[in-house]
Amino acid sequence: MDNSGKEKEAIALMAEAEKKVKSTQSFFGSLFGGSSKMEDACDLYGRAANMFKMAKNWSAAGNAFSQAALLHLQMQSKHDAATNFIDAGNAFKKSDPQEAINCLNRAIEIYTDMGRFTIAAKHHVTIAEVYETELVDIDKAIAHYEQAADYYKGEESTSSANKCLLKVATYAAQLEQYPKAIEIYEQVATHAMDSSLLKYSAKDYFFKAALCHFCVDMLNAKLAVQKYEEMFPAFSDSRECKLVKKLLDAFEEQNMDAYTDAVKEYDTISRLDQWLTTMLLRIKKSIQDDESDLR
Amino acid sequence: MWRRNRRRSKHGMSAYPKSHNPFADDDEEDSKPQRGFNFDDDPEESSLSPAERRQRQLQQEVMRTAQSAVDSSYRSLGLIYESEKVGAETAEELIRQGEALKRTEKMIDNMEQDMRTSQRHISTIKSVWGGMVNYFKGKPEPPKPAEKEQPVSYEANSRLQNALTESKQQEDKYQASHPNLRKLDTSGFGASASLDNGPSDQNGYPKNKHLRAAHQQLDSNLDDMSLGLGRLKNLGLGLQSEIDDQDVSLDALLNKVDTMDGKISSTNRQLKNLK
Repeated sequence: MDNSGKEKEAIALMAEAEKKVKSTQSFFGSLFGGSSKMEDACDLYGRAANMFKMAKNWSAAGNAFSQAALLHLQMQSKHDAATNFIDAGNAFKKSDPQEAINCLNRAIEIYTDMGRFTIAAKHHVTIAEVYETELVDIDKAIAHYEQAADYYKGEESTSSANKCLLKVATYAAQLEQYPKAIEIYEQVATHAMDSSLLKYSAKDYFFKAALCHFCVDMLNAKLAVQKYEEMFPAFSDSRECKLVKKLLDAFEEQNMDAYTDAVKEYDTISRLDQWLTTMLLRIKKSIQDDESDLR
Repeated sequence: MWRRNRRRSKHGMSAYPKSHNPFADDDEEDSKPQRGFNFDDDPEESSLSPAERRQRQLQQEVMRTAQSAVDSSYRSLGLIYESEKVGAETAEELIRQGEALKRTEKMIDNMEQDMRTSQRHISTIKSVWGGMVNYFKGKPEPPKPAEKEQPVSYEANSRLQNALTESKQQEDKYQASHPNLRKLDTSGFGASASLDNGPSDQNGYPKNKHLRAAHQQLDSNLDDMSLGLGRLKNLGLGLQSEIDDQDVSLDALLNKVDTMDGKISSTNRQLKNLK
């Protein structure tokens, strides 16, 4: 009951705001304080958008916010414009993901223009998440995550950058772009090694890098594991390293059962997640292919 | 699978229906007379049938409890690794947050700088006298950036070193009270307590091997568990020191933001009065 009332109010406000905008464009309007009328119109658009949000009419809310943002751009207040574009993007996220991405992109343009790279990076991450979940376009998601990581690195926020890079690596490995994934994992792991808190995750990254090497070529994996052990002695004690070594041996002997047993043993203690299972299955398939080639 | 049994104690010798026995390759379930870890003294006495049966029952019971101990230790190990993973992720998130806090502090300092400049301009606009005062006061200096990064990692490191040496000492103590010694005694004990039944004597060996294997597995799991717990402790300590530092910077930030808020509102008022 309240909501539909709000919606009517919102529509009324929008109409009022549009009238104001039109009036500024007339001759008299521009003479008599056109800018304050524009500000009022922006204000009205904002209020209308909030009411649409209360009525859960997300597309209308998004539209209202975008209108407000455009007006702000005309008035040369970039900051306000960008904030309104972000609001529009958030509103559109619930109804029209594509439109949301458009609004967010425009906001990012404004922020990068102003030199606010951290915020721009944060919104790249938002866009990438939308691509991940709603629009399921992994390539574009990767591109946005990479862009975000670059901006974060530029602003010296290494751990935020690493977070984005790790997502890039996960998807890259899934899409079989192994060199990229390997590079990222090694980079992040070397950085983590040195920090007192982060070193507990370093062994995990080395493990993933070793698996990616494995998918490419077994010899690579062997050399890589040796290299990692030298760099980071704690890695050799970890169960992950022991698992990789067992897998390497099983691969050399072309022994499927040993491979499966090693994986099962690891699984009894720490469950394997989706990504690990995919990679291990790929390696296992390559053993099977080799076996059938030999026959 | 271990979530169901999380409430069981780590040293779970609780009677618990045998789910699967990875050591049961063949029918060792038929109890064979075995050495060691019996809970009463029947093997030394006569080998009457009822007593023997009782003995076999007890031996089966022993095997079962040993097995359940091993399973429980696997579960505990899994839980420890899971905690470590969660802790590591928390650490990453904490560090990211710490970076964000430092960035915020820098930005607040910049804002303060800008506010001072705008304050000068306002006083110039307000009156000629104000402008002359400004001319004599000169430019405000930028505040020196706080060098907080190095002490943070350094503090964590020294604490870490202490924790490492401490956990190594504890490991030595653990080795001293290792149940391996006990196990050897009972196996020696068992060898002397040979039983009268010929076939059962022969079949006794594999059983003991299984028990020994179970105990060895249990011991190695316990070793892993102690290492894992040590790591968890260090992780926890590191997290604590990081949180303490962030606490301090949060308080400083709060103060700065409050002063900033006051300055902004007073500047706004001045601007309105200027009109």
